[in-house]
Amino acid sequence: MKKFLIKVNGQQYEVEVEEIKNGASPSDPAVTVSEPAAAPAPAPKPPAPQKAAKAGGGAVKVNAPMPGTILSVNVKPGDSVKKGQVLVILEAMKMENEILAPQDGTVASVDVSSGASVDSGDLLLTLN
Amino acid sequence: MDNQSRMALLNEKRSQVNLGGGEEKIKKQHEAGKKTARERINALLDENSFVELNAFAETRSIDFDMQKKKVPGDGVVTGYGSINGRLVFVSSQDFTVIGGSLGEMHAKKITNVMDMAIKTGAPFISINDSGGARIEEGIDALKGFGEIFTRNTHASGVIPQISVIMGPCAGGAVYSPAITDFVFMVENTSQMFITGPQVIKAVTGEDVTFNELGGADAHNSKSGVAHFKSENEDECIEKIRKLISFLPDNNLSDVPYLETNDDVNRIADNLIDIIPDDSNKPYDAMEIITSVVDNGDFFEVQEHFAKNIIVGFGRMNGKTIGIVANQPRFLAGVLDVDSSDKAARFVRFCDSFNIPIVSFTDVPGYLPGVNQEHSGIIRHGAKLLYAFAEATVPKINVILRKAYGGAYIAMNSKHLGADMVFAWPTAEIAVMGPEGAANIIFRKEIGNSDDPVATRNKLINEYKEKFSNPYIAAARGYVDDVIEPESTRIRIISALEMLAGKRERRPAKKHGNIPL
Repeated sequence: MKKFLIKVNGQQYEVEVEEIKNGASPSDPAVTVSEPAAAPAPAPKPPAPQKAAKAGGGAVKVNAPMPGTILSVNVKPGDSVKKGQVLVILEAMKMENEILAPQDGTVASVDVSSGASVDSGDLLLTLN
Repeated sequence: MDNQSRMALLNEKRSQVNLGGGEEKIKKQHEAGKKTARERINALLDENSFVELNAFAETRSIDFDMQKKKVPGDGVVTGYGSINGRLVFVSSQDFTVIGGSLGEMHAKKITNVMDMAIKTGAPFISINDSGGARIEEGIDALKGFGEIFTRNTHASGVIPQISVIMGPCAGGAVYSPAITDFVFMVENTSQMFITGPQVIKAVTGEDVTFNELGGADAHNSKSGVAHFKSENEDECIEKIRKLISFLPDNNLSDVPYLETNDDVNRIADNLIDIIPDDSNKPYDAMEIITSVVDNGDFFEVQEHFAKNIIVGFGRMNGKTIGIVANQPRFLAGVLDVDSSDKAARFVRFCDSFNIPIVSFTDVPGYLPGVNQEHSGIIRHGAKLLYAFAEATVPKINVILRKAYGGAYIAMNSKHLGADMVFAWPTAEIAVMGPEGAANIIFRKEIGNSDDPVATRNKLINEYKEKFSNPYIAAARGYVDDVIEPESTRIRIISALEMLAGKRERRPAKKHGNIPL
């Protein structure tokens, strides 16, 4: 059993994770795989990825073009960015996809953190 | 009446035709940043090459006082001329005449030049700037549209057809451009839509401006209806002339030849450096294309739509080729609904007009997601397979890097009938990526291991070593040769020359039934 502290959109979650191996019984012998209650406590569901409505303020929204994992966020609020600058690296389809600034501006909000899973269309950050 | 006054009458009528809707309306047209119908034709065609037809056509409607509104020419200028010395037919709607509205004779003038274009095997260019059907002429106007659509369809695959939107193009009128091969739009002054903002507002309550709804940006980047976007009419006209320079006159003629000073034996030793060592890193496929084609001159089609695939025209040793390339810089270069549509239509255009196809493959697969599945990635993805398999022109594929699974098959593979498949040493041709494959093949081994993570990594590496390369495919003949990247240009030109006389017969049929 491993414990992780996970921060999603500024909120902290404590998550316990246990790997269930094929045929191997979980660490607690009383627990059987068939009983859902005994399975490792499901992590509290992170709030649904913010849609445009809850955007961090900037007028220009940068959304995830496809589902994937945020590998790194290269900017922070207040940074000024140039059109074409790499804002976020989104790992998807075995590719470190560069998410580029659609125009010059200032980063108004960063709505994801590295390691987060995003769905297509999820807000990544906003620019002013 | 003596001959002199007969000549005077002709002159008077001609100047009336040339004036269209009159000075005031011409001024308004100019103020809106638009040229008149005649100015557009003169800018598009070689100087003094335009010959007008049916200049004296007039409406015969007398309903709603049409006899008082009528103007000779009936709101459209038609005829023929040349672009770089090559014959083309044109029609150009005159917004200054009854709003460029389409009535019976207006349509007849257009269908007349279309018929001539089909008969003589020359491209047809239609410049649209019209308020739509002329309501006063009722169903005669609708008939006119229908007859244009029929000819657009019959001419499809026989002569290149180009639509230029330089003003409104609304309602039924949009379906002529939609059937043609290429649609050009100009920012701010051109719009296409089936129902306008007012109707949309009344029916659905949505607020939208003309430009947001059907402007050049919307149709170039969102809907995929248009292929080219220009800042102004002059730039647009330059692009049309450039496009024509790549296209053959008709389906029976050879592609044009433009003498080149770019050496066929040019070594492009920058190519290998474009591909990053780490196959998870993106690069710009455009650099590969421009390093290979004659003088780096690549004319991209639909550059703003479905950017994960690049399509367009270039030349190899002077002759036009059509290029299809995955673009790892956008969406990892995946195939999705839009990119499949975009590439399939382009491949079919090339095949219709004897333009050899060269593809550059670096595709990780199809884009996963509920949205894609429910948008019909099965149906749309099938178009690309169909288009490549159906094409009988020379087909050359260069596998640069990833070629995985179904997307590998779809991208002009040997199995769909590619005549020549080259792979770079960086190619990874496999049923799926190493991570996914290892998880499935070695599931038990990983599960039973004491250190599943290490075992998994070890097995992934083993799989990579063994299968993520071009040599398994080459061993089976799915790849004809593994080539040095710098020799790509030489090898493609050699293959194109070898394939110049290619003949391929298919079972006789009326036509296939491409999934739409």
